[in-house]
Amino acid sequence: MPTGSGNGEISIVGVTKRFGDMAAVSDLNLTIPDKAYCCLLGPSGCGKTTILRMIAGHETPTTGEIRIGGGPVVGLTPVQRGTAMMFQSYALFPHRSVLDNVAFSLKLRGAGKADRHRQARELLAKVHMERFADRLPAQLSGGQQQRVALARALITNPRVLLLDEPLSALDEYLRLRMRGELRRVQKELGITFIHVTHTQLEAIAVADLVVVMAQGRIEQAASAREIFTAPRNAYVARFMGGQNVLSGTVESAADGQAIVVDEHGGSFSIVVNGEKPVRGSRLVGSIRRDRIAVSKAQGCAEASDKLNSLFGEVHAIEYQGSYVKVTIERPTGEGFVANVLDVDFFRDPLDIGDRVLARWSAHDVLMLEGASDAGEASMDEAGGVLISHA
Amino acid sequence: MRQAAGPRSWTFYVFASFFALFVLFLYGPMTVIYILSFQGPTGGLTFPMTGFSFRWFHALVTAERVGDIGGSFQRSIVLAVMVAVLTVVLSVAAGLAFRRRFPGSGVVFYLAIASLIMPGLFVGLGIAVGFQLLGLDIDWYTSALGAQLTWTLPYGLLIMFAVLGRFNRAYEEAATDLGATPWQRMREVVLPILLPGIIGVALFGFTLSYDEFPRTVLTAGTRNTLPLEIWAMTTNVTSPALFAVGTVTTLVSFIAIGAALISIAVIERRRTRGSGNSV
Repeated sequence: MPTGSGNGEISIVGVTKRFGDMAAVSDLNLTIPDKAYCCLLGPSGCGKTTILRMIAGHETPTTGEIRIGGGPVVGLTPVQRGTAMMFQSYALFPHRSVLDNVAFSLKLRGAGKADRHRQARELLAKVHMERFADRLPAQLSGGQQQRVALARALITNPRVLLLDEPLSALDEYLRLRMRGELRRVQKELGITFIHVTHTQLEAIAVADLVVVMAQGRIEQAASAREIFTAPRNAYVARFMGGQNVLSGTVESAADGQAIVVDEHGGSFSIVVNGEKPVRGSRLVGSIRRDRIAVSKAQGCAEASDKLNSLFGEVHAIEYQGSYVKVTIERPTGEGFVANVLDVDFFRDPLDIGDRVLARWSAHDVLMLEGASDAGEASMDEAGGVLISHA
Repeated sequence: MRQAAGPRSWTFYVFASFFALFVLFLYGPMTVIYILSFQGPTGGLTFPMTGFSFRWFHALVTAERVGDIGGSFQRSIVLAVMVAVLTVVLSVAAGLAFRRRFPGSGVVFYLAIASLIMPGLFVGLGIAVGFQLLGLDIDWYTSALGAQLTWTLPYGLLIMFAVLGRFNRAYEEAATDLGATPWQRMREVVLPILLPGIIGVALFGFTLSYDEFPRTVLTAGTRNTLPLEIWAMTTNVTSPALFAVGTVTTLVSFIAIGAALISIAVIERRRTRGSGNSV
C-alpha cells in the first residue's frame, strides 16, 4: 500500500483565472495545511472546480502562484506535482478492465505486467474491489466505479488527492457511506484531500477545513464547526442554512451588545464583543435555527416584551426526525426558520397558518461582517488559515 | 401514450401511405433487378423469367462482351480502401483539431464543408482540367482519388463531430493525470474509445467511394472504376448480365456494411459485457 510522500501543504497566492472576459477566480489566497481534508464549498459557477483544476494542473492560473509542499508547481505535469485527481464522471477508461484501469499509470511508467497487476490488486483490495478486477467499468454500479477511480488515483502515490464532486453521482445511501469511507482513507493515507462539493452537509461532515466560496472569492475558510456556528457574513450564514439572518439599525450599544431595530419595528440585541457600533449604522447578525423557541401567540397583548422575539405566521412545517423545521413568514422580509426539538414540538403541535411568537436569548445573536467590511485580512485560528480579500 | 387498440388519427394513414410509397420506390426496382439477374439462359432484360440460372453471373467473368468488370471491380475496391484510409486519418485529425476554437476555425470549417454542395461533375471537370494544365496524367489512383476525397472528407469530418460530441474530455485529462504523454494518451485512451466511430467514418469513406460517379467520371482517365464500367455497359450490354453486376455490387456493399457493423458490435459488447480477460 503506497503512502503519501512529501509535504502536501498547498498555498494559493494571489491567483486569478480568467476565461475570456470572465474571471472564474479573483485574486484568491488560501493555504491548505498538509494532511488536511479540505472541502471547497459553493454553488455552481463559484470557481471551486476551477481552483481544483488549477491545483491539478488541468488549468493554468492567469496570474498568481500555486505551491505544493513549498515549491511552485505552475507549469508542472500532474505527476511532477504529486497530485492525483478523481473526476466527477470518474472517467474510467471504458475499454480497459478494472485491473488495467488501476494499473494504467504503472504501465505508462514501464512497469512489467506481473508487477503492475500485483500492485493494482493490492490497491483494489484496499477499496474492497478485488473481486471485480476482471470486469469492465460499464459492468459496475456507480459506487463500485467510484472505488475503482479512487484506487486508480491513489496508485500514483500522490501527496494530494483532488476530488471533483466525488459523491454527486451516487444515491443518498451510498453518498453517506462513501463520504465516511473517503474520510477513513484520507486519515489512513495521511495525505491532503481537496474535495469539491455544493452540498453543505457533505462538506461539514468530512472536512477539517471548509472553504465557502461565491463568485470566485472565498467568503470564509475555517473549521466545519466554526463555519456552521460562527459564519463570517450573511452569505455564509444563509448558504450554510443553519442560521437566520437579522439586520437593522443600531439604536444603542452597551455591555458588548447592540440593540438593533429592523424595518418592521422588531428589535433585538446583537453580541458585538469589542466592537463599538455607531448609533444609526446598519448591523447584521445571525441566530441559529435550533436556538429559537416557538410558541402560539396569545392574541396581540404579548407585544409588551418585543426584544429578541418576533411574530409571524407558520408557513411550512417539515418533520426531520429529531427535530421539526418550522418556517415562519413575516408580513415582509425573509422567512425565519426555527428548528424545534421533536419532543418540544409535539407537546403542543403547531399547524400551518398559526400565529406564533419566536423567542431567543440575547447572547445567541452573533454579529456578521457587513458587505462594507470586505478588504481586510484576518488570521483565522482554526487550521491556521490565512484569508484575505482584495 | 396512445393505446394500441385505440382508433388512429387520419395523419397516421397519410404518413404510412407515404412511407409505403417510399419503400416501394426504393426497393421495388432493385428487387426486380435482383430477380432478373437470375434470368434463364434464353431470357431477356424484362419479365417473364424463362427459367432460373447463374448464367449471367458466369458471363461476368467469362464473356468478352460485358467489358472489364473484373478489372474495374478490383480498381474500385482498391480505390475505396485508399479513400477510406485517407478519410479516417484526415477526418480524425481534423475532428480532434476542431474541438478547440482557433483563429479562422469557422472559415476553415465552412471551406471544408462547402464541397458537399459543389456540383460534383464540375468538381471533377475542374480537377481534370487542372491536371491537364499542370501536365499531369489523370488516373483513377491520382486525380480520381483526389476528386473522391473532396466528397468523403467533409462527410468524415461531420461524422467525427458527432462522435467527438459524445466523447468526454475527462478521459484525456485522466490519462494526463496518470502520467500519459500526449502520444500515449492518443494511443492508449483516445483512439480505442473512439474506435467504433472511426470504423463508421471508414465505412462511409468506403461506400461513398465505391459508388461515386459524378466526380470520378471525368477524372478516372482511361481505366474505369466499377460505376463507370456499369454506366458504359448500360449503353452496350443488352443481356441480364447487367443485372447480375447490380446484384454482385449490392452484395459487396452489404458485406462491407455488415463487416463494419459486426466489428462495432463486437467492440461495444466487449465493453459492456466483458471478455473476462485482462490485457
